Amino acid sequence: MKSDIVKTLLTRLLSSILTLLLLVSFLFIIIRLSPGDPTDKYISAKLGSELSERIAEKFSLNQPVTDQYLSFVANVFRGDMGVSYNYRLPVFEVVWEYFSFTLVFASISFIFQMSLSIWLALWVIKKRNKWLDNIVTNTSLFVYSIPAFVLGVTLIYIFSVHLDLFPISGLKSLDHDGLSFFSQILDQLYHLILPLITLSAGGVALFYKYIKESMDEIENQTFILNLRASGLDEDIILRKHILPNAIRPLISVAGVELGIILGGTLITEVIFSLPGMGRLAIDSILSRDYPLVIGCVFTAGAVMILASFLADLVKLKIDKRMIKGILN
Amino acid sequence: MKSGIKIIHWIVFLWLCLVILRFEVVIDYLSLIFSYFGLLNHDASSALAFLNFSFVDASLSVILFLLIIPTLIIFRNKLQFLATRINFSFAFIIVLGFVFLFAPIISNENPDFSKNLSVTKLLSPFSSIKQLELKSERGKKLADEELFRKKSEEIMKPSFNDNIIFADSVRVSEKVTYYQKNEAYEIDGESLINKAGMPVIKEKFFLLGTDEYGRDLFARLIYGTRISLTVGIGAVVLSFIIGIILGFIAGYSGGIIDILLNRFTEIFLAFPVIYLVVLILALFGSSIFSIIFVLGISGWMSLFKLVKSEVISIKQKDFFSTAELVGLNKSQLLFREILPVIIAPVLVNLVFLFSNVVLAEAALSYLGLGTGNTYPSWGSMISSGQEYITKAWWLIAFPGLGLILTLFAFNSSGRMLGLVLNPRLKK
Repeated sequence: MKSDIVKTLLTRLLSSILTLLLLVSFLFIIIRLSPGDPTDKYISAKLGSELSERIAEKFSLNQPVTDQYLSFVANVFRGDMGVSYNYRLPVFEVVWEYFSFTLVFASISFIFQMSLSIWLALWVIKKRNKWLDNIVTNTSLFVYSIPAFVLGVTLIYIFSVHLDLFPISGLKSLDHDGLSFFSQILDQLYHLILPLITLSAGGVALFYKYIKESMDEIENQTFILNLRASGLDEDIILRKHILPNAIRPLISVAGVELGIILGGTLITEVIFSLPGMGRLAIDSILSRDYPLVIGCVFTAGAVMILASFLADLVKLKIDKRMIKGILN
Repeated sequence: MKSGIKIIHWIVFLWLCLVILRFEVVIDYLSLIFSYFGLLNHDASSALAFLNFSFVDASLSVILFLLIIPTLIIFRNKLQFLATRINFSFAFIIVLGFVFLFAPIISNENPDFSKNLSVTKLLSPFSSIKQLELKSERGKKLADEELFRKKSEEIMKPSFNDNIIFADSVRVSEKVTYYQKNEAYEIDGESLINKAGMPVIKEKFFLLGTDEYGRDLFARLIYGTRISLTVGIGAVVLSFIIGIILGFIAGYSGGIIDILLNRFTEIFLAFPVIYLVVLILALFGSSIFSIIFVLGISGWMSLFKLVKSEVISIKQKDFFSTAELVGLNKSQLLFREILPVIIAPVLVNLVFLFSNVVLAEAALSYLGLGTGNTYPSWGSMISSGQEYITKAWWLIAFPGLGLILTLFAFNSSGRMLGLVLNPRLKK
């Protein structure tokens, strides 16, 4: 059994690395296929052909495509993704600076989504009220249907423009640098409230739907009936027996959901102009900062692949039988 | 299921509303079509030159509009869904269908028309302004072709018309004085279109207000619906084709092909899709076709998994082996034996996929990578409205509401379909 698990995990790891490799190859292909090349930024019609050839040589564009590809892949995996045109810094440094924000932001949102949706599902089930159930289900469906950018803009309109409660955008107040450490953190959290709601609303609704459905399904099974018949406290049945069983499908969704959050942060960061990787990616794409684009997309892909790997590990931890599901 | 309002009643109700509200427009278009056929008879080459997109679009809309009710009545026994009871989601989806098919009838304004910015800029909903119209120079005798051109311009509303003047208020004395934001202009009453010696002053009414270029928001919303839905339908059809074919191949052949396709799908699922979509659109330029293509190839994975697992289970059934032994070829097997069996779960999947695609398109347009300003989709309307958020809430509210209701309608009807098909979830 143990060797089975190790073998499965190794295969899983290998396939993750393969996926990453394919992502890099795909990036290389679409960037090479796209019209124009990086030398366009430096070559103008006024330059002689000799000079433009030398620039092309600097970018290794005169080498065969296979050589370019190999060195590209090797460099990316070494962490050397070149120098950003806009920031004049190594891509790795720039991405790391912005990615740390996104990581913190997305994690807070993820925890928030998980806990709120589980709490909501427990609350609704405990009440055993058909009306309440219907109302919450339909509300969650409605909330799930609100696109992040519509929600964000509406929140800005209501809370920032009209009520003047929260800042419109950014992460820091003007007097941020003069504050003590704790007030700095409080200040940043205060700026993050609206973005957090924007990013989390859809996820809460989605998680609620999954967990509620699987709870309903498990509640109708015979072992719960058995527990009830033997006179166990309802609260204990709910917490100790229904919830752990119901949470399993949630974990398989969670891996995918992390990808959705990554996409969501992209939109949220643009709306509230937060210094995260999503906005960095959009800015770099729109300004054709190719090395930075590659860095951002590669980081996002790597994070997603890592997240789904971790989700599989957690699945295994909870239920050893799920080992079959990992390599389907 | 016998009593209550059914889908067909709702369709007829909407149709009657449109007939009552837009009777003139329909008649105008009909007369335009008739005179077009007259011209075609007379002078075919110049008639063909008039055949542009908006004319064909409008004519098809009107013809479909007239044919839809008789068709529904004739086939009402064949189409069982018409007898389903109506609820909010279905009602809204049907409204969307009407907007999609009959946009030229619902809004006979050009979504790009803008004139006299100082007056029409950022008008709030339900506001109205005065409209004057200059006489166009009438030549002695116009050729048929010229006459048709004039008529079509009158009815079809081009995106620019020099003869229309918008004003805040108008005063008529010996000369006509009109005011545009505290600036007074005088004009000779004779040069305006007049009736019994008095110039005709029309009230121009903006139901949903105007945007920053003075364009009618209602018309933009109606045509924006079309763009959003076109992208959605196109991408879903593309995903459907890819998903069904790959799923069938993987499920039917099994073995190494199955494993390879599975890997391929896993890789697609592991990609950060939105980053890639944004990247591809930014590199290759975004047009309505590239958006359909990119969203289409990024949405087929769940369909593939579904079709594959269904095909594997169908493969062992007797009816399928019989069909194989009879000698049907692969496409016949797929379309005659498998598709009818799995159409229900596939349909649910497609409904959810559609709402995802509409959302993705709106998000891309919001980021500035959408269909752009030439085609006003909901996302780009919201994104351009965000700049005026303090002055003009309606620029965001209406497209936002349209988007939310569309997604809600499709999500909840997808859920309903799923509930009907998955008895385990029923209480």
